[in-house]
Amino acid sequence: MKHITKVYGSLYANDDVHLTLDKGEILAVVGENGAGKSTLMKILYGLEQPTSGEIYLNGELQHFRSPHDAIAKKIGMVQQHFMLLEPCTVAENIVYGREPRKNGLFFDRSAAIRITEELCDKYGLHIDPRRLVKDCPVGLQQRVEILKVLYQDADIIIFDEPSAVLTPQEVGELLATMRKLAQMGKSIIIITHKLHEVMTVADRVMVMRLGKYIQEMPKSETSIEEMSFLMVGRHIVEREVPPQETTGTVLDVQDLVLAGPDEKNILDHFSIHVDAGEIVGIAGVSGNGQSELIQCLTGLLPPTSGQVVLRGQNMAGRSVGDIRSAGCACIPEDRYLWGCAAKASLTETSIMAHQYKPELSRHGLLNSKGAKGFTQKLLNDYDVRNSGQSQKAGELSGGNIQKLIVAREMEQNSPLLIAAEPTRGVDIGAIEFIHNKLLQKREKGDAVLLISSELTEIMSLSDRIYVIYEGHAAGEFRKADATEEALGILMMGGTLHENE
Amino acid sequence: MNSAYIASVINSTLRSTTPILLAALGCAICSRVGVFNVALEAQMLIACFTSIAVNYFTSSVLLSVLAGVLSGALVGAVVAILQVKYKAADMVVGTALNLLVGAITTFLLYLIFGLRGKLVDNRLVSLSKINLPVIKDIPFLGRVLENLTIIDYLSYIIAIVLFVYLFKTVAGFRTLSVGINKPAAESLGTKATRIQMEMVTLSGALCGLGGVVLSMGQVTMFTENMTSGRGFIAMAAASLGMSHPLLVIASSLFFGLCQGIGLALQNVVKAQLTNTLPYIATIVALVLFSKRNSSAKLKK
Repeated sequence: MKHITKVYGSLYANDDVHLTLDKGEILAVVGENGAGKSTLMKILYGLEQPTSGEIYLNGELQHFRSPHDAIAKKIGMVQQHFMLLEPCTVAENIVYGREPRKNGLFFDRSAAIRITEELCDKYGLHIDPRRLVKDCPVGLQQRVEILKVLYQDADIIIFDEPSAVLTPQEVGELLATMRKLAQMGKSIIIITHKLHEVMTVADRVMVMRLGKYIQEMPKSETSIEEMSFLMVGRHIVEREVPPQETTGTVLDVQDLVLAGPDEKNILDHFSIHVDAGEIVGIAGVSGNGQSELIQCLTGLLPPTSGQVVLRGQNMAGRSVGDIRSAGCACIPEDRYLWGCAAKASLTETSIMAHQYKPELSRHGLLNSKGAKGFTQKLLNDYDVRNSGQSQKAGELSGGNIQKLIVAREMEQNSPLLIAAEPTRGVDIGAIEFIHNKLLQKREKGDAVLLISSELTEIMSLSDRIYVIYEGHAAGEFRKADATEEALGILMMGGTLHENE
Repeated sequence: MNSAYIASVINSTLRSTTPILLAALGCAICSRVGVFNVALEAQMLIACFTSIAVNYFTSSVLLSVLAGVLSGALVGAVVAILQVKYKAADMVVGTALNLLVGAITTFLLYLIFGLRGKLVDNRLVSLSKINLPVIKDIPFLGRVLENLTIIDYLSYIIAIVLFVYLFKTVAGFRTLSVGINKPAAESLGTKATRIQMEMVTLSGALCGLGGVVLSMGQVTMFTENMTSGRGFIAMAAASLGMSHPLLVIASSLFFGLCQGIGLALQNVVKAQLTNTLPYIATIVALVLFSKRNSSAKLKK
């Protein structure tokens, strides 16, 4: 790709970008959100047409008007948001578009299964072709997407933020898969901002920033520090968190039980406490009851038994509104599901749960001037890049909408903040920003409960760490005592012998 | 209750089922491609009128049926253009068309024939009644299948054909995929919007055929608003049958049975009361069904 420029209005999404890819190579394109990586890939895949610039494939000039043209030239893309038919089987999804037929008319489903099995064997990616996609975990769904691209016979495979939705184990498998495909002669482009993945899998790295090509280098000649410097344009400072005295318990969870659909409890006699002036981390592999814990604490789910004592008051089973007014704010784990309404404007998004404040409404009537001012303050203070308050929440990039949600919940100034996966899928700059905000909250003497599947995040921020495994607290650590190994063992359900 | 009585109830069940089944199939294919078509009533009623009007002037059954089906398809095409192409709100389009067709047919009845209320004329030719050669002499079965029209039989064949199309052919798989995930279907080259528009138009044609049975089957006449909510009953039948053609046969038969029982009870209870039976059944069935559905979801 040579001299690729893409202009949206007055914004240069891509500004004279070059990209080369050799056969059998894995190229990582890294950059922050909004750096223009995705736009570049959309141009390569025919989803967008460049304003200027040219694409050459094996020396031939190409004009891709749609993904069909790109697919015909053996370019495939594994999208970040899967394009799958969930109620259909794996095999049906894979052969879609080029279905095997019987008598020219009928869909030969047994042939589809056979094709899928052959494809799986050929590439060593195993999956049951008869399984329904909706019953597959996310990692397998992504595998279906990969197999779909392979069935289209792609030689160049683009992965758009492939690890954003995966658990750590699934990420490991994915990276292994990519290596294997590269060894079989496929050329791979991976778009990401997770630099340790780049170090594991890539042969070459290309850095983009603000739509511009910055630099490229072989992986062996670079480091995570250098890449993050090039991505952000400045050095990220290692954070020293000074110890701080705590003052009194804010949240005390005693013996919390949430019964599951079968005999096993989702939350199993779970007890923790969070004090004022500390960040308490809950580490665990996702799916061990974290989501349900958040829902029980915030009032979305009534616990079966147990106590949730918030500032001396048992809030178990009370409504969301009651719990919020008692002093609990929450940055939810899924920003689009719980955190905002995609079609709400930025003003509406910002004032959610603030709407009863006197400066925002009186006698049930919204004060739109107040709301605008409040929103503008959030947008400015938290560096949310936007194109005006009437923009829809869903149109912001992931990092920016997350910053807005963080802003909204911080500004509740509540004694307790629950931060669930506060930095999932956002770029380095935003991560640093959100972490600083969480630490400021702690400095103010408020309590923060941090629930995250990123172990590094937990370890760098928390004063105390609990490990959650199958719905119970498997261990408690002071920051000084916590090691990645010890946490990891407990997270996988093991036991620590020296403790016994 | 003797067997002849039961046979006659089943017979009237079958006759009442046909228009509902055809419209319900139309509704089912719409929801299979992700379109909520509320204009079933309009699609049926226009066909009732058009077929009788063509019948009056040509005395040709074939032309009447074709005209009815075409007029239904035409209203379906309007739904397709407004709702699929221009993404107008489904309830608004559907309600507007239902009211509009009700008014237009009344108006045309007066304009063309100078009549109010209904059109009955001895020039009108009804659909020929079929009495199968051997079966008509079997005592019980003969009575059950007595005097059905070809469309009554055809409706079941259509249901089976639709089933085969949707679940056994490649084209049907693509059609279903549109309803499941339109962006995904489009990303792999399926012309999703076109398929949706085709299916909505087809639903118009099916409803049209249902309307024809209504005006030229058991009776041969047109009365204002003669569909009397069958389009909505069909909607219930489609949702009860989970938009699956074969299950829709069963759910349509259920509503047909309610009408059949209603007719049979007319001699015992007041007609005004028995006429409500299908509608009560609709509500009860939907409540029971959605209850079962939501508990199934909870379990998951």
